[in-house]
Amino acid sequence: MSIIYAYINLVPVTLMQSVIYAFAALGIMIPFRLLSFPDLTVEGSFPFGGCVAAALIAARVDPWIATLAALCAGALAGLATASLHLWLRLNTLLCGILVLTMLFSINIRVMGKPNIALFAYSTLFDNLLGAMTGNLAARIALVVFLLIAVLLALYWFFQTEIGMALRAVGASQSMARAQGISVARYTLLGLGLAGALSALAGALLAQNQAFADVSMGFGVLVNGLASVIVGEQLIGRATLGRQLAAPVIGAVIYYQIVSFALALGLQPSDLKLLTGLFVIAMLAIPVLAGRGSVLGNR
Amino acid sequence: MLDARALRRAFHPGTPNQRVALADVTLSLAAGDFAVVIGSNGAGKSTLLNAIAGEVRIDSGRIEVDGCDVTAEPTHRRAAAIARVFQDPSVGTAGPMTIEENMALAERRASRNSLRLGLSSTARRRYRERLAAIGLGLEERLGQKVELLSGGQRQSLALVMAVLTTPKLFLLDEHTAALDPKTADVVMQATTQAVARDHLTTLMVTHNMQHALHYGNRLIMMNEGRIVFEARDDEKAALTVDRLVHRFHLASDRMLLG
Repeated sequence: MSIIYAYINLVPVTLMQSVIYAFAALGIMIPFRLLSFPDLTVEGSFPFGGCVAAALIAARVDPWIATLAALCAGALAGLATASLHLWLRLNTLLCGILVLTMLFSINIRVMGKPNIALFAYSTLFDNLLGAMTGNLAARIALVVFLLIAVLLALYWFFQTEIGMALRAVGASQSMARAQGISVARYTLLGLGLAGALSALAGALLAQNQAFADVSMGFGVLVNGLASVIVGEQLIGRATLGRQLAAPVIGAVIYYQIVSFALALGLQPSDLKLLTGLFVIAMLAIPVLAGRGSVLGNR
Repeated sequence: MLDARALRRAFHPGTPNQRVALADVTLSLAAGDFAVVIGSNGAGKSTLLNAIAGEVRIDSGRIEVDGCDVTAEPTHRRAAAIARVFQDPSVGTAGPMTIEENMALAERRASRNSLRLGLSSTARRRYRERLAAIGLGLEERLGQKVELLSGGQRQSLALVMAVLTTPKLFLLDEHTAALDPKTADVVMQATTQAVARDHLTTLMVTHNMQHALHYGNRLIMMNEGRIVFEARDDEKAALTVDRLVHRFHLASDRMLLG
């Protein structure tokens, strides 16, 4: 009984965590699924967003502006990865690793130290919720509202002429070029968008926990990938709506599973190993069953 | 409509693997010409087509389409004037996207993309009409993903997409080679209908000798990166497979059997 009790106590906190990480899961899904560009930049753009937001808030910049700046910083990280691939023709995974490694140094430069505490400063949550800022339900509602707004905006965007051109690049680059679409331009756009979403997650997490640390991105990619896979197993990716909702639903469920595992007495330090094994298993099942690969686009 | 002058392209230059794909090719197509290019493997047919499309850079030479020098333009800039059907149906269409989305992408080949919605009900009506004309029932499946279609259906869609807006130059890259003979004939029928209807200036690469003799008003044979034989109109009409093969000692089994 105490296990169940411990878990139930954790549900709201875990929910908060998962709706924030859902933005990063979206930032992982877009390059992988819609652009067919396996991208690891999230491990760099996520803490970049958190560090930029924290540094600015600690410098008494308005939290709105700090969050927007974090968004732009993440977009730049995505553009850097895309540029390395497009103009130096480096492997996409290597591009991401280079950028996330370099961002580690940049993040320390941005903050002037390896971490910043924000307890003394007012964050986006304090600004928007006022006296309710201590109320976890209100904070969750705020992030869920933002998440739904972003989902609707993405759903609209990917049906516009520009959004469709971006998806065409992910489907077949030869086809895209033959239809007058610049592969370079839309790869930059897609990775910029993904970086912005990942950085937004980092900025929200830093403000929610009132703390940013240079190592806060460690494991974001694998957790996000696990979220995307869980979501896609549950609702599929048959339509654009499902493809966009999958990372969000997947994040919410995946983090509850993790929380339950912790309540069972699992060591937090073992989580990365288990998450990795889980992702490998999910990727391996279709391969071993002869149904092609989960992450291959076709 | 197409003016390609002295095209040269060598792959792996300066290495033991150097291969001259285009030695010195000059080719002009007048408006309404339907030229069919044949030749054995490695003759340079595909390189010629890819050079014109923009996918392969040329070492020297000059390519004009409708009076505009496009030599330095990348593929996507040439796409406003050039439409293309690929050999592999899965390359020429976007599998994870719906039929109507594919049509919309093709319709915007020459336009700039904006943040307007990519589909509208009037556009859907247009697509339905065009798809109904090929008689495969695709007009009832507008919202389905293209990856659900068969190879023949996909290639027919690619064809409809290519001629949805009238291109100045129409490139066909062995576009029936991946299909079974019956489907290949259906796609070829649709091709000639579209070419005739819009008087398209067309360059078709093929391995199929029957198709080469049967379709088009010009026949171009390539060998080792050069055009070695050309026939047009009456002269072309008088050709037979036997005569071609006999005269040019074509060794390629694929051409004989195709």
